Amino acid sequence: MSQPAPAQSELLLRFSRRSMMAMLFVVIALGAVGLTLIVSPEGAVGKQANLMSWLIPVGIVILVAALQTSLHRQRWDPRSPEVKAIMRDEWRQTNMNRATRAAMIVALVAQWPLALTFGFLTKLPPPRMAMAMAASTMTLGLTTLIALFLFFDRE
Amino acid sequence: MDETLRNTLKVQRAMRDLTQAGLAEMAGVTRRSVNAIETGHMIPSVLLALKIARALGVTVETIFRLDGKES
Repeated sequence: MSQPAPAQSELLLRFSRRSMMAMLFVVIALGAVGLTLIVSPEGAVGKQANLMSWLIPVGIVILVAALQTSLHRQRWDPRSPEVKAIMRDEWRQTNMNRATRAAMIVALVAQWPLALTFGFLTKLPPPRMAMAMAASTMTLGLTTLIALFLFFDRE
Repeated sequence: MDETLRNTLKVQRAMRDLTQAGLAEMAGVTRRSVNAIETGHMIPSVLLALKIARALGVTVETIFRLDGKES
């Protein structure tokens, strides 16, 4: 059985971490734009967000290309032993479980302040309020999940 | 619970002149897992403990030891 070289494993490990950081950035950007479009589609910020919604896919493509470049001509092949070792790694799975539990609690606890914010402070009509609640819950949950995973998984 | 899992992984690794990355490679995990076990941040599963023991050519009990009160 051929064993992967440690340098290659380290490179893929760093790539995996960078990808999570990129995903965090994308989630925050999408959540912010989505929420702005739901809460204030006609306002000045809403118009800026409308422009951003066209720029985000371009940004994602550039981000993915930049991440690929950081791999130095290697490929992220899910069937390769080094990628399997990263994906099945116990420390990674432990950290992901811890982050998932914490993100679930944060998303649940945040419901009351979010409902207060969107229900009373922004005076949104009920359908838009539901959309804002959903978008903010998803953004908050995913942001917490990825950020906590990166925190627990640090060196 | 008063029991604590102690390990001699660092010593065993040093005796074989193995790096964390080298041992991780042999056990099929990442260097971070080996580091987390060595520093006591992670309690490995039975499967991983067995894999590490096999990679080092020793028994699990040689690496891992339960310290504390016995019931």
